[in-house]
Amino acid sequence: MRALVKNKQSNLAHKNLLTASLLAGLLSALSLPSAAFDLKGALKDAVQKEIGQKPEPVTPAETPNSNASAVDAATTNNTTTSAEATQPAFNWKNPSKDEEIALGREIAGNLLGAAPLVKDAALQKYVNAVGRWVASQSERPDLPWRFGVLESDDLNAFAAPGGYIMLTKGLYRQLTNEAQLAGVLGHEIAHVVKKHQLKVLQKQQLLNAGAGFLSGKYAKDNELISKAIGSGAEISARSLDKSAEYEADRLGLSYATRAGYEPYGLPDVLQVLGHSSKNDDSVALLFKTHPHPDERLSALSDAVGSRLDSVKNGKTLENRFYQLKN
Amino acid sequence: MIKNLKPLLITILMLPMLHVGFSIAAETGSALKNDNLRAEPYADAKIAGNFTRGESLVILQKKGAWLQVKTKKNTGWVRLLSVKRGAATTTNKTAGALAVASGRAGTGQVVSTTGVRGLSEQDLKAAKFNESEIKTLESYTLSAEQGRQFANAGKLKTIAFANLKAGKGDSK
Repeated sequence: MRALVKNKQSNLAHKNLLTASLLAGLLSALSLPSAAFDLKGALKDAVQKEIGQKPEPVTPAETPNSNASAVDAATTNNTTTSAEATQPAFNWKNPSKDEEIALGREIAGNLLGAAPLVKDAALQKYVNAVGRWVASQSERPDLPWRFGVLESDDLNAFAAPGGYIMLTKGLYRQLTNEAQLAGVLGHEIAHVVKKHQLKVLQKQQLLNAGAGFLSGKYAKDNELISKAIGSGAEISARSLDKSAEYEADRLGLSYATRAGYEPYGLPDVLQVLGHSSKNDDSVALLFKTHPHPDERLSALSDAVGSRLDSVKNGKTLENRFYQLKN
Repeated sequence: MIKNLKPLLITILMLPMLHVGFSIAAETGSALKNDNLRAEPYADAKIAGNFTRGESLVILQKKGAWLQVKTKKNTGWVRLLSVKRGAATTTNKTAGALAVASGRAGTGQVVSTTGVRGLSEQDLKAAKFNESEIKTLESYTLSAEQGRQFANAGKLKTIAFANLKAGKGDSK
């Protein structure tokens, strides 16, 4: 009986989350609109609570040992019951497109909390136009792709699930033509297409669930999301496997090339980044979370071989490349 | 006498300028891989030597996707992606120029003129959700069709090109 009630609740919760996701995607919600609206507000609250109450959250990544042992303990105890009681809210095993977008929105929103958008609508529109066209050449053209330039002098770019992509003004400043921008955005688009960040979150989530992090009586769907991204926007800059970065370079170059750009945009940018000193603060995080640009260039060179010999007439479009106002 | 000197002087003064205009500066570089030098900028041109990964070279000029380079022994053409531009040290001109341009010269610290801080790992961890900014971001979302129109305006034409696969030496 109790289990039945729980099941019903979680079914309802599942519906709520879906509706919230739909709302977030600016699509029409069919059922339970008021509940969904509350949930959306609660979602925000949960994130703020999460960050507000624990100024320095200890992420699982930082405590691999204690976490691993906790997982062991949970496995021997009651994995199945706790998992069943809380899991249905967000399908971590196989998130829907809407769930992926809702998750990416939380992460992107946190990132924007760290650095706002550059107040230049023409710049943002330009970057969205280039990015949208490149994304259309990817394996996931149907996502609602969004691009933004962040007000920061650092050199970096970020991707969050569901098609949220951002680069810093510092990185944009290093670019000299549209093909280079297309290459950089292509790299980030590839992370989304290959769900690199999402897979990191899924892995982490399975650890959390196993450790009983989310088995509390009052665990809500929204808390699942906020706990999953725990350390806020940091997930979008988290170190991925080196192989994921090389893959994103190869795909990014491929997308930009298919889009009609001169294929050497991304390698150009890697050449420039390779000249940055490791001690330069503005590239500290980029260098920490990515293989050195020289290694990336070298890997890209190996992958390209003679493949680009037949590619002619790609465009750089430096004439319409949007110039920063400051 | 002075009149006669004038053209000569001009010629002398012009020489360095011509040189700069001709080449993309006598830039140094290093080999990203073992590769052959070609007599001409084509894949099937005669082999004119070779170089090994890490070897330093002088870049003489660029033609399409090819660079003419000079090794210790030979001069020839290689694909753009076989060469890392700039010296291996951090004190090359390009890096210096970039640092100056972005107000970062010398100190290794960000000397921001706009007063904007960086985006460290700590900044990202401490960041709070910003609803109005994400809404602004979403307001710029374009449709696939709008993207296509933008591409047409730039005369960008899609081409068939299969995704690159990992190269042989790519297991690093």
